[in-house]
Amino acid sequence: MSARFNWTTLHPAAYKAGIGVEMALQSSFLNPIQKELIKIRASQINGCAYCLDMHTKDALKHGEIPQRIFILNAWKDAKEFFTEEEQVILMITEEITLINQKGLTDETYEKAKKLFDETQISQIIMAAVAINMWNRIAKASHMEIGK
Amino acid sequence: MSARFNMATTNAASYKAGIGMETALQDSFLSPIQKELIKIRTSQINGCAFCLDMHTKDALKYGETPQRIFLLNAWRDSKELFTLEEQIILTIAEEITLISDKGLSEETYQQAKEIFSERQLVDIIMAAISINMWNRIAISTHLPIAK
Repeated sequence: MSARFNWTTLHPAAYKAGIGVEMALQSSFLNPIQKELIKIRASQINGCAYCLDMHTKDALKHGEIPQRIFILNAWKDAKEFFTEEEQVILMITEEITLINQKGLTDETYEKAKKLFDETQISQIIMAAVAINMWNRIAKASHMEIGK
Repeated sequence: MSARFNMATTNAASYKAGIGMETALQDSFLSPIQKELIKIRTSQINGCAFCLDMHTKDALKYGETPQRIFLLNAWRDSKELFTLEEQIILTIAEEITLISDKGLSEETYQQAKEIFSERQLVDIIMAAISINMWNRIAISTHLPIAK
């Protein structure tokens, strides 16, 4: 599937601002694998091939195992593979991604408060917000999967 | 409903980056009312009260009529109230918002190409992406409606 257009050249200021959103998260508490889990799970839900390809490759580079990535679609059915922190991170990611369904539920937020402080929760939320941004522009422009 | 926390202060770096995106999108062919239509329709779908309140007030300030705002929920059933450009803008906003459904469909993309340039299309898409970002921040933090 060939690209519809290249948005980074059509709107370099928006691209730069998007990078800015990403850069603001560099100092977050999330470790590299946690960051990739957020990006992969959101990209699975939103169906972004470019992002899935990029972030599964990144995850493997950071030491994630293929089995956990394969099973991520069904993590609720395979909780033994994921730590409690990862489960809450994934729950937040899903609710942020499908925000129109039920927002960020009290149930999830209360669980999050038991493991994370407000700053950390805000970083998880923004990481999910950021990949939701990239998913949308990559899908809309039919960004081609990297070779 | 009281705020869970304030993203602007809890995660100032991310908030600033979000503002950076909004600033980058000021350079846009979209008229003030077209920008507000995108923000309102997206906020309706995602269920963001803070954003709905803010942007319906802004729209009225720009000269939008209450009737069109009320009917935005059913614009496909009241197309006579919306120009062809507005209808395509709204369709793009909806498909970007519900990106997991069917992406930015080929049908909508082809219709858009007939009346908009590629850069204008990116302007529309990025405007929808941006309000999707703000909706998620406001909803997840229970941002209280301004007095």
